Amino acid sequence: MVPYIQAKNLNLTFRPKNRDPVTALLGLDLEASQGEFLSLVGPSGCGKSTFLNVLLGLLKPDSGDIRLNGNRITGPGQERAMVFQEFGLLPWRTVQANVELGLELKGVAAATRRQRSAELITLVGLNGFEQHYPHELSGGMKQRVGLARALATDPDVLLMDEPFAALDAQTRDLMQMELLQIWDRAKKTVLFVTHSIEEAAYLSDRVVIMTARPARTKSTIKINLPRPRDYEMRLSAEFNDIKARIWETLKEELMTRSAGDGS
Amino acid sequence: MTRLVNFYTEREHYILGGGFILLLIIAWESVPHLVALPRALSLFFTTPSKVWETFYELLVRNEVQAHFYVSATEFLLGLGLAILFGLPLGLIMGRSSVMDAMFDPYVTALNATPRIVFLPLLILWLGLGIWSKVMIVFIGAVFPLLINTYEGVKNVDRVLVNVVRSFGANEWQVMKMVVLPNSLLYIVVGLRLAIGRAILGVVVGEFYGATKGLGAMMARAASAYQVDVVFVGVAIFMAVSLIFTLTVKKIESKLTRWRPEAVKSF
Repeated sequence: MVPYIQAKNLNLTFRPKNRDPVTALLGLDLEASQGEFLSLVGPSGCGKSTFLNVLLGLLKPDSGDIRLNGNRITGPGQERAMVFQEFGLLPWRTVQANVELGLELKGVAAATRRQRSAELITLVGLNGFEQHYPHELSGGMKQRVGLARALATDPDVLLMDEPFAALDAQTRDLMQMELLQIWDRAKKTVLFVTHSIEEAAYLSDRVVIMTARPARTKSTIKINLPRPRDYEMRLSAEFNDIKARIWETLKEELMTRSAGDGS
Repeated sequence: MTRLVNFYTEREHYILGGGFILLLIIAWESVPHLVALPRALSLFFTTPSKVWETFYELLVRNEVQAHFYVSATEFLLGLGLAILFGLPLGLIMGRSSVMDAMFDPYVTALNATPRIVFLPLLILWLGLGIWSKVMIVFIGAVFPLLINTYEGVKNVDRVLVNVVRSFGANEWQVMKMVVLPNSLLYIVVGLRLAIGRAILGVVVGEFYGATKGLGAMMARAASAYQVDVVFVGVAIFMAVSLIFTLTVKKIESKLTRWRPEAVKSF
């Protein structure tokens, strides 16, 4: 059977003007099945975000093959949506108008848009803030808008690029729990990029550990913890074992990375 | 008493500002009453009340209106043309590196040159009628608009462009949803500069070569030692400039409702 998401031998090199070329992806292979929660961890700057952008259709790989449900990805599409790291909200649009962005571009009628955005604003708990502008919201609220916007077009695949990195620890814990609840109900396939081993272990079905740049997959760790997961689970010995295993694998890459930085 | 204090503290800014203006006008008015001006000097001197009288006379004779009409026409046509050319060109140059490379030398060279140097040529080619002034206003106003629009487009947040692209936006939709709203504030600032340059163009153009218009009226009055008439011109230009500045400021704050307060006032 063909995997739901399949990346084969992806290569991508950035060639900025007046700078040395940077190879971000080198023969990257990755697979994910439908409805799976997959996390990508790796040294910072290793090319995880680049991979998400390729999957989103914003970046074209130099060579290799990337498919969703057997169809080659050549550009953005309605079956995929991204939650951006720094929220990426349009500052001149209200919460409601931000949530409706994807629907508007899809050509959905205003009345339907309104109804759908109201549902999602309720889902992420932002009732009463529909007419607020992004600068009037806290970080956690902004990312809730980002999540609602990504869910508005009802995509099959949700791409999340360090979505909670800019949030404080407590807001982050809360958002993780809410994300799990939403994922459990909506049954999306999620590709989640993070720096936090704990976050990856807590949320995922599988954690893919990437090498230092250029990115390849180093190994995959299956998380066999029961669902639904709760915060208390994070205190169990089992959970800590998993974290230790991820850390062991990641450590070597972090060493390579810091050795590389010295040059 | 406390009510009086409250009344004052609430409006202190306006009372002090307006009061100081009033004080200066009174001082100016009283100069001839306090000191005896020599005859030669009194030829160049006037008082606010005399300026007001002259203004009233010119109004009754329908003279100010006629000159004002000519100046306003030159201003509006020149500024309109500048907006018509400057905005689209700025947008296109900001988005397309090819157009940028093609037009940039002209824009840079012409913007660095004082616009007034073209005035003799324009008068030679277009005559003493309104069109030489329309052109000088256009040349003055088009560059601040173009350059500010260009800067606004260039400063667009790449993340936001990617966000709308990821939802399937085409180049036109990227323009409408991200580039234009992002540039609006730059454009309004450009407009404010352009209005200043346009008024300057009208004045200098009419000083130099015109038979009608407020500038021409002032130049003729000055050579005939009619200081009151010159002041009438000054006052009208002052009032017009002030009205425009305040209007644009209003538009600016309307457009930036989505911005945090601290950034709004600059």
